[in-house]
Amino acid sequence: MYQTTHPFQLGPYILHHVLDSHEWHLPFLPVIHLPEFISLHGVMIIFCALILVVLFCGFYRHGQRVPTGITNLLEAFVQFIRDEITIPFLGQEDGVQFTPFFCTLFFFILGLNLLGQIPLFATATSNINVTFPLAFITFYLMTVMTLQKRGLKGFFRAIVPSGVPWPILILIVPLEFLGIFIKTVTLMLRLFANMLAGHIVILCLLGLIILFGLWALPALVLAIFFSLLEILIVFLQAYIFVLLSALFIGQMYHPDH
Amino acid sequence: MQTLEISHLANLFVAVGMGLSAVGAGIGIGQIVAAALNGIARQPEQTGKIQTVMFIGMALVEGLAVMCAILSFFIIFQK
Repeated sequence: MYQTTHPFQLGPYILHHVLDSHEWHLPFLPVIHLPEFISLHGVMIIFCALILVVLFCGFYRHGQRVPTGITNLLEAFVQFIRDEITIPFLGQEDGVQFTPFFCTLFFFILGLNLLGQIPLFATATSNINVTFPLAFITFYLMTVMTLQKRGLKGFFRAIVPSGVPWPILILIVPLEFLGIFIKTVTLMLRLFANMLAGHIVILCLLGLIILFGLWALPALVLAIFFSLLEILIVFLQAYIFVLLSALFIGQMYHPDH
Repeated sequence: MQTLEISHLANLFVAVGMGLSAVGAGIGIGQIVAAALNGIARQPEQTGKIQTVMFIGMALVEGLAVMCAILSFFIIFQK
């Protein structure tokens, strides 16, 4: 175990901030003890969902010829997802059909990530139990929906590449089949690990200040820099999650392309 | 005199391994971005497409490094 003379322990301090709990620390208020059936990350998820519902049902104005204000902001994202992510990977017909799903995924992940950047809120996406269901939706679309839409033949056409001599197929087909699971797992781990690692790095830098006092003040500049980088990563990870989901689903739906 | 325990040594090895994974990811991302910059410089009108592919590649490489970092954290904190 650690044998330090200093009473402050950096490891437990970081873990306490990053891990899920049933307590919510707010400034100038007593600690909010959450009930047994919901944890802090659960509260964040519900909060994010409420924000999205209010944004898209309350503030989003349909049928504006020239979108203004919040409608303009949201519409830029929606159009970006439709034109840059879904239609290139899923084709014109499926792409338009799937745009609402990918928009939901994108805004949900983005909302959860951004909530984590606000001080005193928690990042729900840094919990692997949150990212697994998100990745599992992609897995469901990759397997069950492909079977339903394309049939067993279409499913095997996605797994078995055409124009390959049969001895190599013995090697490739199990790999492709395993690949479906590997893709899901990496999708899950990437979002989880990125959000967790960003927070741990920032907390490590802030912990230096507690450990070394005034001498570690330059670490504060680094922490601010990492916070700014984190805001970039928040958008990038939401984008990449949706992009890779579209890519994987597109590979199963249209194996010829 | 303080004796060197095996757990201290493990921490050292974890730190070295994490640094090595960061080196690998740095080389990988550097090459991807360099290639993307070359492509964009040659054909500026294809910027969007090149950026999309670049982000996919970057995500795949970066995911590996981040997974190494998380595993290192778990190994250190778990004791």
